[in-house]
Amino acid sequence: MKTVEDFVVLLHDELALSVTVEDLGRSLDSVESWDSVHLLTLCTLLERETGRSLSLADVLEAPSLEAVYRMAVAP
Amino acid sequence: MTDALTALTGLHRDGILADRYPRVRALLAGLSDAELARAGRMLARVDPDAVLAAHPRTPAPRIAVTGHGTLSGLVPALTAQLARHGLLARVSASDFDGWVFDLTDAGSELYATRPDLVLCVLDAAVVADELPSPWRVEDVARVLEEKLGLVERAAEVCAAGSPATTLVLNTLPLPGELTSQVLDLRARARLGAVWREAEARLLRLPQRHPGVVVVDLAPLLAEGVAVRDVRQSVYAKAHLSDGLLAGYAREVGHLARVWSGGGKKVLALDLDNTVWGGVLGEVGPEGIETGGGYRGEAFRRFQLVARQLAAQGVLLTAVSKNDLEPVVKTLREHPGLVLREEDFVRIRANWRPKHENLAELARELNVGTDSFVFVDDSAFECGLVRRELPGVAVVQVDEEPALHPRRLLGEGWFDARELTDEDLVRPVRYREEQARQDFLHTFDSLEGYLRELDIAVTVAPAQARQYARVSQITLRTNQFNLTTRRLQLTDVQALAADPAAQVLAVRSTDRFGDNGLVGAVVLRRVDDVLHIDNFLLSCRVFSRGIEQTVLGAVLRHARESGAREVRAGYRRTAKNGKVADFYPRAGFETVTADEDTAVFRHDLAVLPGPAAHIRLTARFDSAPGEGDAP
Repeated sequence: MKTVEDFVVLLHDELALSVTVEDLGRSLDSVESWDSVHLLTLCTLLERETGRSLSLADVLEAPSLEAVYRMAVAP
Repeated sequence: MTDALTALTGLHRDGILADRYPRVRALLAGLSDAELARAGRMLARVDPDAVLAAHPRTPAPRIAVTGHGTLSGLVPALTAQLARHGLLARVSASDFDGWVFDLTDAGSELYATRPDLVLCVLDAAVVADELPSPWRVEDVARVLEEKLGLVERAAEVCAAGSPATTLVLNTLPLPGELTSQVLDLRARARLGAVWREAEARLLRLPQRHPGVVVVDLAPLLAEGVAVRDVRQSVYAKAHLSDGLLAGYAREVGHLARVWSGGGKKVLALDLDNTVWGGVLGEVGPEGIETGGGYRGEAFRRFQLVARQLAAQGVLLTAVSKNDLEPVVKTLREHPGLVLREEDFVRIRANWRPKHENLAELARELNVGTDSFVFVDDSAFECGLVRRELPGVAVVQVDEEPALHPRRLLGEGWFDARELTDEDLVRPVRYREEQARQDFLHTFDSLEGYLRELDIAVTVAPAQARQYARVSQITLRTNQFNLTTRRLQLTDVQALAADPAAQVLAVRSTDRFGDNGLVGAVVLRRVDDVLHIDNFLLSCRVFSRGIEQTVLGAVLRHARESGAREVRAGYRRTAKNGKVADFYPRAGFETVTADEDTAVFRHDLAVLPGPAAHIRLTARFDSAPGEGDAP
C-alpha cells in the first residue's frame, strides 16, 4: 500500500466500506456504515500490508480515516 | 485474489449480493481463511431481509450473539461460515457484556427475538476482570464458581423458556498472563486444576441440558491459533483473537448446517495418493505405499481415521480412476491396508468423470449429492466436482499424506448433535441393502420380490429412548419428508408430552435384517379431526409398501378412535417433489393446493386395503412408562 488510492481500495475491498478519497477526512461517525470495530480490523490489515507495527491505542483515537492512513505510511 | 473472491467483490461493488445470494455458496467453496474473512465482511453488509425477499426459501437461522467482551468481529465470520453451507445468518449482537441479563431473564430482548441459536461467547476475562488486587488462587476459584452458577442458570432459563433454542457455550482458554502471576509452582498448578475443573463442568452441561452445545476451544488452540491479540484485548475488550473467532464460527456454521437438516452422510474417497501412496495402475499392488515405511504409515493413519468415521455411521465409498478388478483385489488382499473391501458400502473404479460416479452413487444410496464429502488429491478432480455438484463438500488433500487426517477432520462435516444406535449400524444396513438389490435381480416381478422379502412393520408411539432418533429423522430426511418440519430433540420431547399430539415411530425388518427405526409420523388431534403434521420415511426403505401400510394404519386408527376426518399437509422443498401426490394416491381429496403447499382430507369412508406382503403391528395407545422423560 503506497498511495491514498490504495488505501481506499483496501477500505473498499477488505472492509467493504463504500468510501472515496474525499470521505477520508470526515469524522469517523459520519462515514457511512462505520462501526468502531472496523478500526481493529483496519489496524490488523494495515500491519499485514505494511509489515510494520502500529500503535493500536493511537489508531483507536484517530479522528478520521485520513489520520489512520498517515500513521500507516508515516516514515 | 482468486477468481471466486474477485467475482464476489464484483457482486458486492454492484450492490447485487442479495439478488445473487444462491451463487455465493459456490464462490466461497475454495477460499482460504483470509479470503473467507474478507468475504464475510462483504456479506455482513447485506441485509438478510433483502436476501429473503429475493430468495424466500433460503434457510435462515436467527443467531443471537452475547457474551463478555467485544464480539462484533464474530458477525462477519458467522455470516461467511453460514453462507458456505447455503444458509443465511440473521445475526443480532447484544450490547457489550450483556450476557447475564440476556440469558438469565426469560423476558429479555434476546429471547423475544426467538433465536434458533444463542451464542454465549465467554473468555478468561470474565473471571480476570473481577479479581481483586492482589489476588490469590482462591479468588479465581470463587469467581469461577459464581460465573458457572450464572451459566448454569442461563442454561435452565433457556431450556424452560425457549426450548427450541440451542444455547452454544465455549470453554475459556486460560491465558499465560494469569498463570504466570502465581509464583508458587504448586499454587500455579492448583490454579490450572481449578480452571480445568470449571471447564469440565461446562463441558458436562449438555448431559443435563440437551439444548446446550459446548464448543471446546482447546483443540483449536492446540492447532496453533492464538487465544487473543493482547492489544485488542486491552484496548478494545476484544478478548478472543480473530483467528480463534473464525475457528469458533466454523464450528457454529456446521452446527447451523446440522440444524437446517444439511447433514453429511457419505465419505467418498479417491484411492491413489489419497487412501494409499502411488498410482495402483502404474506401480501395482506391491508398489503402493500403505502400512510400511514413512509415507506408508502416514496413509495408514488416514485409513484408520476413515474407519473411525465409518464406525460412527458414515458411509464410505471409493471413487477411483482405475480398473475395478485390481482395486477390489488390492482392497481384499493387500496386507498393509487397514481399509478393506467390506469397509466400503460401494466401490466405484472406472474411467468416467468422478462427478458422474458421485451422482450415480447418490441415486443408489438414495441420498442427495449434498450428503457427500469428497476427498481427492487432484486439483482437477476437486475443481470439477465443485463445479458440477456444488452441494458436495470437497476436501482437497495434497502430496503430504501426514496432513490428510487434519484436512479431513479440520471441518466437522460429519458432526452430529447426537449419534443414535441407528447411526452406528448404518453402514451394515446399507450393505444389507446391496444384498437386497442383488436378491431383487433374481426376481421377474417386483411383487414376487416384495413377497419374498418378508417385511414386518411396527407402528407405535415413540418411546423416550427413541426421541433422539426421531429428531434425527426429521433433520436428515429430505426426500420422504412431507412438510420438512425439522424437530430438534427438545421439540420431540415437547410433542410427546403434549396430550393432543402423538409421535409415532415406524420400525421395519425383513429377511436381510432389522432396518431399525425408519420413519416417524406426527399426529395432532383437534376436536374430531386428526391432523397428520408430518410423515417421514428413511430413504433406505422407500417403495416397498411401507409408507402406504403405515398411512393405512393411521387412517384406520382415526376411524376407530372416532375421528370425522383426517387432514394432512404437504410443503414443497427442493427435495421432496416425489411425495407431492403421496396423500392423493391414498384416497385423500385436495382441499387447497398452490405451488408450495397443499392440504388434503380423507373422509374415512373407504380405507385403503393393507399391503399383502407386509406384516403390520400397529399400536396407538401408550404402554405404561412410555413417553416418560429419559
